[in-house]
Amino acid sequence: MNRRYLLSSLLSVVLAFIVFPAATHAKDIVVGTSVALTGKYARTGQEQLQGFQMWVDEVNARGGLLGQQVKLVHYDDESKPETGAKLYEKLITDDKVDLLIGPYSSDVTMAASTVAEKHNMPMVSSGASASEIWERGYKNTFGLYTLAEIYMDQILELGKAKGLKKIALVYENTAFPRGVASGVKTKAKQLGMQIVFEEEYGKASTDFSSMIIKIKAKKADMVIGGSYLPDSTAFMRQAKENRLYAKIFAFAVGPGLPDFGQNLGLDAEGVMGNTQWEPTLKLPGAKEFGEKYKAKYGHEPGYHAGGGYGAGYVLEAAVKKAGATDRDKVRAALFALDTVNAFGRFKVDATGKQIGKPAYAVQWLGGERHVVLPAEAATAKVAYPFKDWGKR
Amino acid sequence: MDLLEPDILLQLLIGGLLAGMLYALLACGLNLVFGVMRVINLAHAELMLVGAFGAYVLFTVFGLHPLLSLLIIVPLLFIAGYYLQSVLIERVVGRPMLTSLLATYGVSIILINVGLLLFSADFKAIPALQGSFLIGELAISKPRATAGAISLLLTVGVYLFLERSRLGKAIRAVSEHAQVAAICGIDVRKIRMLTFGMAAAMAGAAGVMLSVIYSFWPGSGVDFIQKCFAIIIIGGMGNFLGAFYGGILLGVVEAFVGGFASTQWAEAVAYLLLVTVLLIRPTGLKGVARV
Repeated sequence: MNRRYLLSSLLSVVLAFIVFPAATHAKDIVVGTSVALTGKYARTGQEQLQGFQMWVDEVNARGGLLGQQVKLVHYDDESKPETGAKLYEKLITDDKVDLLIGPYSSDVTMAASTVAEKHNMPMVSSGASASEIWERGYKNTFGLYTLAEIYMDQILELGKAKGLKKIALVYENTAFPRGVASGVKTKAKQLGMQIVFEEEYGKASTDFSSMIIKIKAKKADMVIGGSYLPDSTAFMRQAKENRLYAKIFAFAVGPGLPDFGQNLGLDAEGVMGNTQWEPTLKLPGAKEFGEKYKAKYGHEPGYHAGGGYGAGYVLEAAVKKAGATDRDKVRAALFALDTVNAFGRFKVDATGKQIGKPAYAVQWLGGERHVVLPAEAATAKVAYPFKDWGKR
Repeated sequence: MDLLEPDILLQLLIGGLLAGMLYALLACGLNLVFGVMRVINLAHAELMLVGAFGAYVLFTVFGLHPLLSLLIIVPLLFIAGYYLQSVLIERVVGRPMLTSLLATYGVSIILINVGLLLFSADFKAIPALQGSFLIGELAISKPRATAGAISLLLTVGVYLFLERSRLGKAIRAVSEHAQVAAICGIDVRKIRMLTFGMAAAMAGAAGVMLSVIYSFWPGSGVDFIQKCFAIIIIGGMGNFLGAFYGGILLGVVEAFVGGFASTQWAEAVAYLLLVTVLLIRPTGLKGVARV
């Protein structure tokens, strides 16, 4: 064998390793997901992924699932439903994953769940709560989150108890915020409260000042937003600039995250919101997860991280119950499951919709986020009314 | 309807004018570059974000107030623009339009991804300059009023520079006819570098102003560049004053459409306005038939 031949054969071996990077170990269980790592939902998508990754690390440290190691394949869907759909197609047909975790946001989940349904592959959906998702007769989407429609119920009841009547409702024009809004409308009607202002806005909206001027003219008692993080932050900031005052300000998603307080500073004080989960809840492993997460990523986990982590445990429970990763067995197990993990109870109805998990309301008090409703889970008392901008 | 109360109309008008001044500052820079070298700078909004993130870093690391950071960011972006022109854009001037579009699009992609690497995709905001000035029933947002005033000052400053100074006249000469300008002894290459530097500095200043009003992330540029295109077409391609009028017009119309229809309609208004202006006056408000 001459030297040249040796060199070239060596080179081809090296090349083979570059071109075919360490092929998945035959015995691994591969879990696939796409989450938003860029775009509007990036912040929350990233938390969800990190929470899920912690479960992957833990389950592998415990010896894996059914004696096999768990491997995670994930992509960035850029917060876009159309990209999400493509990625789930790729996960199922190209990467041939064994199990699926849903993306973040109801919007992207709507698209991704259609792909999962087409391939008849069960998907544990962590980051979605619009009930619209479960009203299409699908058999493969299993929700973890409390439904968007009941997000604001406790806050509306509080408003009712304080004698408030006029509600201004603003929301983004996608699945989840619309779900929150339709829930608010139903509940307000039940309670005999009046929606005096209602307006939708686009996903890219950053300027709410015209909207705020109109709400001011309507003299609403409560301002409720079906929102995500960036829009709720911008809205509160501009509410202050335009001196919009109401007795209660409540937003979906935003106030449930630490960033809300960081970006708004003192102006976050008194704003209410929702949370799917907090490390302070009395759930098995919630506190430990909170501590481990903080040690690993340097900040307190939001509920999106909790959801990702919980999705892992639901998947684990289902696979153990099924005794296999076979689609039909896992689907049957998910339908039958009634379990409590660090994220809360998991029990779905015949459509896969979550019915076991309650809702929690939070409020920013003294620069911290506290659970204020329901009373049994509260870490602080509700502060009412919202302090006028001029008196802060 | 209570929307027609003078207070509300005035509030909408002020909000629109202030937003319009910021648009104008950004669009004037874009139009300046187009006027002088017939290059559409697709990376203009990303240069703006460089300014915004610059202000963010100076604020979080050194506690420097965004208004003071203008004094650092504007000269830095001027230098960056100057050299970007000499190294890259200079090579595509006078080539087919597609070449310069691709080159500046490349710059934009690089800047966005460097931004994502450095700052991740989180939304950032600078909690300085919050609250509002109260005049009777009117509440005028402090960040917007400040941003509007500074934007106006800078735009008018650049306009006077172009109109009055010798160098400004040279820039206009190159804009009108580069070859004749060269024959008259103007160093055309140098003028182009200066122009791009100025445009980048204006974008950077707009970015600092933006950082006190809105939350932003490395991908925020898209919304702004699209509006800028509409503005310069409305105002007249290549015309500095045209971009100024176009910016103010868009700001005011957006505010009123947001007030009377909805915020969703306000986002579409730039393009409706664009179509209307093109139908009535195809060269834009201040444009000349040549373009």
